Amino acid sequence: MSRATQNALVREDRGGYEAVAASAVGLSGVVFAVGLATLVDIVSITTPVGNGTLSVALGAALLGLGLGTSGLGLASRLGYVDASPQPSAGVVAATAFAGVWFVIGAFAAQEAGLGTPGWLAIGFVSGAAAFLLTALRREDVGSTLPAGSVAVLFGVALVTGFAGPGWERVLVGYNATLFGDTVIPVVTMVASLLTGWAAAKSYGGFGARGRNIGAYVLIYLIVLSILAVLVGLLAFVIIRGLPGLLNGVAVGGDQLLRWPFLTNGASLLAEVPGVFPALIGTVWLVIGAVLFAVPTGVGAAVFLSEFAEQGRFTGVVEVATNGLWSTPSIVFGLFGAAFLIPRFGNQKSLIAGMLTLGFMLLPLVLITSREAILAVPDEYRDASAALGVSKWETIRSVVLPAAIPGITTGIILGVGRIAGETAPILLTTGGGVLPGRSAAPNVLGGFQLSASPPFVTNPALLEATSALPYQLYALITAGLSGNIEDPQQFAWGLALTLLLVVLLFYAGGIATRYYFRKKLHQ
Amino acid sequence: MDSFTDTEVGGWEARAERYSGRVRTFITETDPGALAVVALSMGSLLLAFAGFLSASPLAAVPFGVFVLSTGYGWVRHQALIARAVTFAMTTVTLVTLGLIIAFIFVESAAAFRYESVTVFGVSVPGLGMFVQTRWDAVSDPVRYSLVPMIHGTAMVTAIATLVAAPLGVAAALFISEIAPPAVREAVKPGIEVLAGIPSIVYGFIGFTIINPWAGEEFALNGGSTYLFVGIVVGLMALPTVVSVAEDALTSVPDSMKDGSLALGATEWQSMTSITLPAAFSGVSAAVLLGVGRAIGETMAATVMLAGVQKIPEPITNVFYGYETLTSLIAANYGNASGTQESALFAAGVVLFVTVLSLSVASQYIEARMRQRLGGERT
Repeated sequence: MSRATQNALVREDRGGYEAVAASAVGLSGVVFAVGLATLVDIVSITTPVGNGTLSVALGAALLGLGLGTSGLGLASRLGYVDASPQPSAGVVAATAFAGVWFVIGAFAAQEAGLGTPGWLAIGFVSGAAAFLLTALRREDVGSTLPAGSVAVLFGVALVTGFAGPGWERVLVGYNATLFGDTVIPVVTMVASLLTGWAAAKSYGGFGARGRNIGAYVLIYLIVLSILAVLVGLLAFVIIRGLPGLLNGVAVGGDQLLRWPFLTNGASLLAEVPGVFPALIGTVWLVIGAVLFAVPTGVGAAVFLSEFAEQGRFTGVVEVATNGLWSTPSIVFGLFGAAFLIPRFGNQKSLIAGMLTLGFMLLPLVLITSREAILAVPDEYRDASAALGVSKWETIRSVVLPAAIPGITTGIILGVGRIAGETAPILLTTGGGVLPGRSAAPNVLGGFQLSASPPFVTNPALLEATSALPYQLYALITAGLSGNIEDPQQFAWGLALTLLLVVLLFYAGGIATRYYFRKKLHQ
Repeated sequence: MDSFTDTEVGGWEARAERYSGRVRTFITETDPGALAVVALSMGSLLLAFAGFLSASPLAAVPFGVFVLSTGYGWVRHQALIARAVTFAMTTVTLVTLGLIIAFIFVESAAAFRYESVTVFGVSVPGLGMFVQTRWDAVSDPVRYSLVPMIHGTAMVTAIATLVAAPLGVAAALFISEIAPPAVREAVKPGIEVLAGIPSIVYGFIGFTIINPWAGEEFALNGGSTYLFVGIVVGLMALPTVVSVAEDALTSVPDSMKDGSLALGATEWQSMTSITLPAAFSGVSAAVLLGVGRAIGETMAATVMLAGVQKIPEPITNVFYGYETLTSLIAANYGNASGTQESALFAAGVVLFVTVLSLSVASQYIEARMRQRLGGERT
């Protein structure tokens, strides 16, 4: 530790070294990004670059990176720069390199035509060699040479054309073939990841500071990739779905806004087939689930945190709630099918779906409400009690109002989650694949009084009803075909509608949280 | 041993005595009118529940009585009725869990009986589902082995965990330890939104984009692969891992980290040698919950997998995608009847028991971590 501090303070003349290391990190990032782009077919590896193809250019870049990274390590080892390497790069890095080199060794042995014992042995030897080199040599060599040699190896393979766009290997017995245009990007990404990490370490002069930088580079890369996946997914669904969703939208005219995709049913006669019945179905499912789960969940949270003594009973309820929270949605579906359907007219029905989703929503509401109520400071309760207010009055007019922001956020996020659930309603609510406009449930107008029990009936609640996620599933199982024009576009529009409905709830929940938090800090 | 039993009984009797004493005081101190209303309200609720369980339309009558008596009680004796009603609401969780267990076990009984295997002269129901690998509901011999689906679930879950666990823990470290506040405020909702994308949308993208792409890219016979289903499911389990692991990392007291930093350790050293070890059990609980999510993930698997109840050759072949427990249920429920439907419930039982055990295990681990960080002793 003391060495690290000393060197950080007296470090001199490292400008050139750091610049080389930093540019190696940058180049690794660029190579990684290009590899990713080729993997998802944004660019082809046969794209001409300079005199060769992209494949050769990537190879040259990897070669340079590999030599550069190894050079950085050697420069430190030979004492040309002031660094503070530790005696070993550590077991974690050693294990990772051992894995990479096991694969390389095993693959090379297979290429050479050795049998299973042969490639296992060779793979094991090369993995062990990499492990020992990393674990036993000083850190500057141990973390750069294994990484740099991987990049050099791949670079040479690509530049010489040993591996190129036409490369392919049949995985015997696996019913699959590896092609150059899949393998080369993956290999490039792995190699650039290794050199990027090693270069980042040498930028920090190895040791504690170098490891810090190396780890941060990897973590930033991971978080960026997760966000990139998220943005990519959303953008992809939006781009694919917008034509369907906006089909025939018009502002003005006899109506203020015409949005046929959201207000039409699906039929051959309709000019633009729409998802109106499924949209209404989802709205009613959510309303039903909320009516059941929110009072129950909030009430239970009040009892657990205000009335009950903390003991075995609250412990059991807590375990049961968390157990319900993690119960798979398809099991809720099975439960709804076995328990609710026989009790509501022996067929798939809207109310069975409402209650099933309600059962799923209940633990979410209970957990978040309980957290919100427990977060209300005890001073509030004490102050109220000191004024002579009864316990229930305190809960009603002090605790609950203070907890409302947290409870609301929890409810909205929970609703967003169940609104997109397919598995439970698949088993309990059903409905048609492409329902016409008339199939939309008319719950409000459906209530009827009768002279025999149960006295109040509502046929709309007892019918199978389509909902957005279910309709998307049904369309997929129908092979994206149906009695409408362009089912593909319809399905993407439907997916986007579902996504927007769910994301609206999430945006609402997150915005509520920010709004109340800001108010709290004013 | 004897004395132990005695104290147990004595303790139990004493507790019962104390409890009945408390109840007696409560009854004598409470307004008899209020007591009557609460008794009527709770009694009618119990009756309504019993009526609903026996599928009687008459259940509406006691339910009406419950609504009326509770409404009257709310006006006249609000504090007491609120307490009673919230207690009833609390029991809903327990009742739901109990009902789920009861109903899926009862419905699966027929399949378990059908798949009985005699071992050493004892007939073990359900064993046949696990000791042979044939699932065929149509042609003779009709057998309902769950082994192929358990294998599929294990493959998908293993790949999903390889994706979700390292990425999730890294993202959690980033959010709780590394990110500057402004970045954190942007990344956290982003991860939450990732949790909000409906699984059927993932499945739709998988079915229309990933499957054809994989089929072409690896020259597969069909596009269903455990590999890509696993990656997609891992992406879906990721937010669970991130948020639970982040909670665990944040709950490590700042004083511990500050002490390490004050000694001159780098941030990464403090993370790996202080924060992560201290939060280790919480982080492993997060991974366990992520595994549970991956096991239970249904729709993406259903639409992306081929729906064939077989074990691929060789057994580790990730380029086949046949069936998981969840997709078996979702794809076959509507068309199945009789013993086959019951066998689907048996698959549900396997799922439910596995995931519930994971949930209880992770809660146990988390509770231990809280105790350790709180400085209490078990």
